[in-house]
Amino acid sequence: MIQLENVHKAFKGKKALDGLNVQVTKGEIFGFLGPSGSGKTTTIKILTGQLKADSGVVRVFNNDTQTIHDSDQLQRIGIMTDNSSLYPRLTVQDNLNLYCQLYRVPIRRVKEVLEMVNLEGVERKKVSTLSKGMHQRIILARALLHEPELLFLDEPTAALDPINKEKIHQGLRKLKERGTTIFLTTHDMDEAETLCDRVALLNAGRVVEEGSPATLCQRFSEPIITVQLKGGQTVTFENAKESAKAIYDCLLSEQVVSIHTDEPSLGQVFIQVTGRNLA
Amino acid sequence: MNPSFQRMYAIFNKDLKDVSKNLYVSSTFLLPLFYAWLFARGQEDAVALLPMIANLTFATVGAFLQAAVIAEEREKGTLRGLMLSPASIGEILTGKSMLSLLGSVLVLFLCVNLLGGVPSIPGVAWAGFALILVFYLALGTLIGLMSKSLLEASIFILPVIMILGMGSLFTSLIADAEWLAVVEILPNLQFEKLFQASGNAEVLSSLAWIAGWTVVTIALTVWWYQKRTVDE
Repeated sequence: MIQLENVHKAFKGKKALDGLNVQVTKGEIFGFLGPSGSGKTTTIKILTGQLKADSGVVRVFNNDTQTIHDSDQLQRIGIMTDNSSLYPRLTVQDNLNLYCQLYRVPIRRVKEVLEMVNLEGVERKKVSTLSKGMHQRIILARALLHEPELLFLDEPTAALDPINKEKIHQGLRKLKERGTTIFLTTHDMDEAETLCDRVALLNAGRVVEEGSPATLCQRFSEPIITVQLKGGQTVTFENAKESAKAIYDCLLSEQVVSIHTDEPSLGQVFIQVTGRNLA
Repeated sequence: MNPSFQRMYAIFNKDLKDVSKNLYVSSTFLLPLFYAWLFARGQEDAVALLPMIANLTFATVGAFLQAAVIAEEREKGTLRGLMLSPASIGEILTGKSMLSLLGSVLVLFLCVNLLGGVPSIPGVAWAGFALILVFYLALGTLIGLMSKSLLEASIFILPVIMILGMGSLFTSLIADAEWLAVVEILPNLQFEKLFQASGNAEVLSSLAWIAGWTVVTIALTVWWYQKRTVDE
């Protein structure tokens, strides 16, 4: 679906992408994780034909991105980036009606996509009167109007509260069930862990780790089992069959509060790999 | 691929709603009407001033309105949304030109009524109206694409209004200057020549000049639009 091979991009001599390699397969939710300035937005802009790569192979739908501006190709993709905007003097309905007509989808889709982003009943409101989070959700709704095969989302839930975030996650999961491929950038590790099938950790313009969130966390976990006991005491054991009896004894003592393997969060993995924080 | 009138109409309809709520832009309709009213009061042969009023109408309502709607799309970041939609360049630019085109025709019609009619010209010369209107629309689009904001477009359009919209007013005040021969190739003056032409050869020569300007401006506009689809 998406192929990036050894992609380089520099702005005034400063490297934004430095040999980027990414493959995204049909039907998956792929998370592109990295801190601000790591090249996430640059990558989306290159994939959507808004920027040209200096070198490397960039293919979407198995086609060169030179053809991304073809009407047929654009009909197949949905885009929400940091520079997506709405017409502030017009109502939400007018804004979305325009795109219904550009994508040739029935106007009734407006109601459906607004439900997906938890914004029922705002159709008649003027866009200029809405909050930043609502703007963001309307732009997302606009990207979903034509049920695209491939969806590019740049920080889709950045300004949203947890309830709306979860509502949008549910909507994106439904899209995935219908076969939509989703390429999203985020620096929200919880979002990546709960939503993405695979993630790539981006640092200084290159992918430093790639895999499913669970695989990555396991790869960087310590081989230990931590047992927390009543009274706040914590005991650690090597994650091996030799520890079984000792853990069993703990259980028999009826003092165990919790037992867990020591897997880092994606955020911790990122720090471990790059030495940088994701904020 | 055939152009979609649904897409062009959708863009026009959006612009109509948007501009009707923007007094700064929509008030440009009044300028040529004011001049037409003023000339109609002060001149016995006001009809003869139609070419100048037409140029002023096309420069203010055609070119300025066009530049304003495009520049505002750039300023707000909504132009990129249109460019990334399946609408083709032809559909977008035609859709974006419809409001300025219809506005120009409407204002010109009102100006004709204020002036008291139209001067008699050879039939083929009427093509000049269509050609020069397309020229102004393309020029307005180009200025809009080159501007980062509505304010910038308002400044860039001033020379167009002064030189093309009101140029004949100034040239009539300057007698026998040699450089006037160079200025005469400008489309606005060629348009006005259509009304003074003594034969078909002169009419066709003027039409050819206007057509040349129009083709070059459209080519520049399309090139600049394509440049705008990709960031630098």
